[in-house]
Amino acid sequence: MGRKFYASISVVVLLFLVVPLVVHDTFYLRAVTEAIMWIGLAVTWDVLAGYTGYLNFGHGAFFGIGAYTTAILMVHKGWPFFAASIAGGAMAGLGALIAGIPTLRLRGAYFAIATWALARAIQQLALILDITGGPDGMRLPPFLQPRFFFYVMGGTVLIIFIVFWYLFEVDPFGLKVKAIRENEDGAMAMGLNPARIKTKVFTISAVPTGIIGGIYAYWITYIDPPSTLGDLVTDQAVVMAVFGGLGTLIGPAIGALIISTFKIYFWAYLSDYQVLYLIILGGLIALSVVFMPDGLWGTVYGKIQNARLAGSKEKR
Amino acid sequence: MGYPVLNVQSVTMAFGGLRAVDDVSFDVKPGEIVGLIGPNGAGKTTLFNVISGYLKPTQGRIFFHGDDITGKPPYDLAKIGIGRTFQIVKPFAGLSVLENVMVAALLKHPSKKNAEANARAVLEFTGLLDKAHMPASSLTLPGRKRLEIAKALALEPSLLLLDEVMAGLNPTEVKETTGLIQQVWDRGVTVLLIEHNMRVIMSLSHRVIVLNYGEKIAEGSPKEVAENPLVIKAYLGEEMAV
Repeated sequence: MGRKFYASISVVVLLFLVVPLVVHDTFYLRAVTEAIMWIGLAVTWDVLAGYTGYLNFGHGAFFGIGAYTTAILMVHKGWPFFAASIAGGAMAGLGALIAGIPTLRLRGAYFAIATWALARAIQQLALILDITGGPDGMRLPPFLQPRFFFYVMGGTVLIIFIVFWYLFEVDPFGLKVKAIRENEDGAMAMGLNPARIKTKVFTISAVPTGIIGGIYAYWITYIDPPSTLGDLVTDQAVVMAVFGGLGTLIGPAIGALIISTFKIYFWAYLSDYQVLYLIILGGLIALSVVFMPDGLWGTVYGKIQNARLAGSKEKR
Repeated sequence: MGYPVLNVQSVTMAFGGLRAVDDVSFDVKPGEIVGLIGPNGAGKTTLFNVISGYLKPTQGRIFFHGDDITGKPPYDLAKIGIGRTFQIVKPFAGLSVLENVMVAALLKHPSKKNAEANARAVLEFTGLLDKAHMPASSLTLPGRKRLEIAKALALEPSLLLLDEVMAGLNPTEVKETTGLIQQVWDRGVTVLLIEHNMRVIMSLSHRVIVLNYGEKIAEGSPKEVAENPLVIKAYLGEEMAV
């Protein structure tokens, strides 16, 4: 990986380590932790959506499966947190492997609908099973340490980002994935097995999401079907990724940072107008898709690329 | 080592009651350029789709260097040495020209660095190197056709299936592409090409196979085929053959 990458990551890590030492107000600490969580959710959604071209409208189900697996293992089996959250990721990965079999052969809108439907089914399952606590949800053993969760969430998302950067930007795997997005038949003629690659990406997008769900569960101490298995987690991750820029890792991160900051301040200072938040989000994604389809980062990066190409042409 | 590169044995491709390819058999020997011609709808592209793994034949078998490849998917065939271009080109539009060819080069050169080096060599060979960093979507039709060939070449195939690569090209471009195909053949690649441009078929092919309504109606040297009354009838109608 390039020197620029290491430099940027070092700056990020430095800032990250310093934040809790400087920020003492737990409100702000929690706000940053949540922003980091959304970076993770937007980026994991984008590797399947932007890079591979498959819009998973059930992405939140991986989050919820991770959350509930962690909760069940900690509450009913007495597992420690770290093992339970890893298991949450594993369960989400298993879910992806199983769900992928019928859904990945579908294209475009059908895949979106099928994954959305499966996520609703899982939500229903959580509502009727005893082990999940049904509509009452589950309470996890309380551990009210904002700094701890800041470090765990931040460290996890940082690792996810670095691993994804390697897999999708450095390793040839990213190129193969994009080829499948661009033209599946053409990709087959190039020796690529679309079913295998799509399944890999589906699973790669699910496991970290499950782990993030597990962290969320222990952090917030209470989970229920609407909050962890409802539409909202997916919807917000989608808006963040699209607004930031699909097909990159930095795009969804920027989108998540901006929108979650907006959300937290909205919730803190304009809580009377809560409902407006979602309306604004809806408007934002509609405007983004029409006027800025490459997203904020995509548009900026595109302009930089064009300038570079034009510059190198003039040199001849 | 006496196997033909390609051996098509009694292949039939039926869609319900329609036999798009009807009991077709032929060989392609190493080092040949074989032309596949026939009126529109004769089943040429369908036959290509069967040979290159996009369709499973209803009946018959296909052998590649003596190995049975019937029903194998396109990605397996790419790995063993069959490269194919599409009549309606399938570029990776959002990727650069270089990236397009790199995807193919990765097959034989799994490291990104080596794949890039090989891709550049192929781009130079096909005259696309100056467009390496442009998006594939910015290429004009002749450029896209060239890219299609470049991608197939980067697979380092022993058999190259070309589906109407001349369609839509002006005479100069046709001449250039013909030259390119000859250079490819010089490097030891066996070629099977579908073409409507008779001049190209006559000048390039060692042998020609003619399809009509899914059946093979003639096979032989270009001259033999051109003078075959069945072939003339198929293209021009009953009256002309007399």
